[in-house]
Amino acid sequence: MSTTLAILWKDLVTEWRSRDRVIAMLLFSLLVVVIFHFALPVGTRSGIQENAAGLLWVAYVFAANIGLNRSFALELENDALSLLALAPGERGWIFLGKALANLILIGLVEAAAGFAFAVAFDIDLLKVALPLAGVVLLGTFGLCCAGTLFSAMSVRTRLREVLLPILLLPALFPVLAGAVAATRDLIVAGEASFEAIQLLLVIDGVYLVVSFLGFEYILDE
Amino acid sequence: MSSQASMSLSALELRAARMRSWLTLPLLVFLALYAWSVVNAPIDNVQGIIQKILYVHPPLAYGAYLGFVITAIAGGIYLWKSREDMDRLAIAGTEVGVIFCTLMLITGPIWARGTWGKWWSWDPRLTVTLLLWFIYLAYMLLRSFSGNSTRTARFAAVYGIVGIVLIPLNYYIIEIFDKRSMHPENLERGSLGDGMGMPFLLGNLALFFVFAYLVLLRWEVEGLRTVASEDEAERLAANREVA
Repeated sequence: MSTTLAILWKDLVTEWRSRDRVIAMLLFSLLVVVIFHFALPVGTRSGIQENAAGLLWVAYVFAANIGLNRSFALELENDALSLLALAPGERGWIFLGKALANLILIGLVEAAAGFAFAVAFDIDLLKVALPLAGVVLLGTFGLCCAGTLFSAMSVRTRLREVLLPILLLPALFPVLAGAVAATRDLIVAGEASFEAIQLLLVIDGVYLVVSFLGFEYILDE
Repeated sequence: MSSQASMSLSALELRAARMRSWLTLPLLVFLALYAWSVVNAPIDNVQGIIQKILYVHPPLAYGAYLGFVITAIAGGIYLWKSREDMDRLAIAGTEVGVIFCTLMLITGPIWARGTWGKWWSWDPRLTVTLLLWFIYLAYMLLRSFSGNSTRTARFAAVYGIVGIVLIPLNYYIIEIFDKRSMHPENLERGSLGDGMGMPFLLGNLALFFVFAYLVLLRWEVEGLRTVASEDEAERLAANREVA
């Protein structure tokens, strides 16, 4: 567990000093919001509310992809990744530290992008801010578990930035299905359905266990 | 197979290679019977000739799923026991599974256009199968972008297991959120028209033999390729020593 906290602290301090990942993700998600404005046909207010959840999660996933790509690319410098593998204890704890750092950084970007989205499309997200934050947290946790595992794989391949979304997106279907349904319920009806939350909890649990155990075989010297 | 090759292949791989040669005759017999029965099967009154896709589409689906299950199980054994022959079996399972899945995704829309009136619908089984196809194509890309090493084998094994874990989850999601399904639930006894049961059964048997033959063949080729690259590495090392 101390390994997890050490990795989490290291990643957050590194990001605090450079701030490059958060800024890149934030700018990218804002650009996606602007592109949505131009790409979408003019619709009714209820139509926008119905589709807002899906659009918001598309922006989140694309932005997260950038951050996840950088998560392990940083460790390639000075061959830090090989040294990480030498850390005592199970490698799953290293995964957890990385995943939690990604969760915090991506979560910050999602909060800012959500605010921009609400303003740009005139959707009142404030009245459901707290449950929405919970749903986004659950969805992002699943995204970060799978994303951190696949990022550790793709970083050791040729064409690493290209490979991560190809590995990640098909595996994200369960996370997106639950997160979009819950977010849509919140925006349209004011409360999330039990099935969607249940699904998010199940998939988060599955991805946490599979990634924690799988990371043992992904990280090597 | 040369004696030199058999030194590096596992006993299981050698047995599989022998089994493949035994499979050739039943494969040819069943393929001939299958072709004959499909040609002679009655033409459906409602759907017409396009209904004959029934004799190839479901067996392709079984082959695809079986291939992906083989990938995950072989990948799991590889991680557990570090058996390289299991990694090579995982490659065979994926490649043959992806071929079967691709053919299923081609034959399905052709049949759908003729019966449902549109090429594609986001039917639960279609969606899950499409996602699986993407996952195992990504698996193949992961292998080709990572080079040929034990690291690649480990990455692929973990990814193959994630892929199979997603099957029940995806079905669960579709069950919750989208109950509309255009596929029949299960083929019950007698649900096929007169004269259609036999070609359907033969289709399943023949394509199972095709699947098994291709998996065993691909497994053997991967084994021989490994042996050849080991031989090449040894030869280069020997040349360097002489120099």
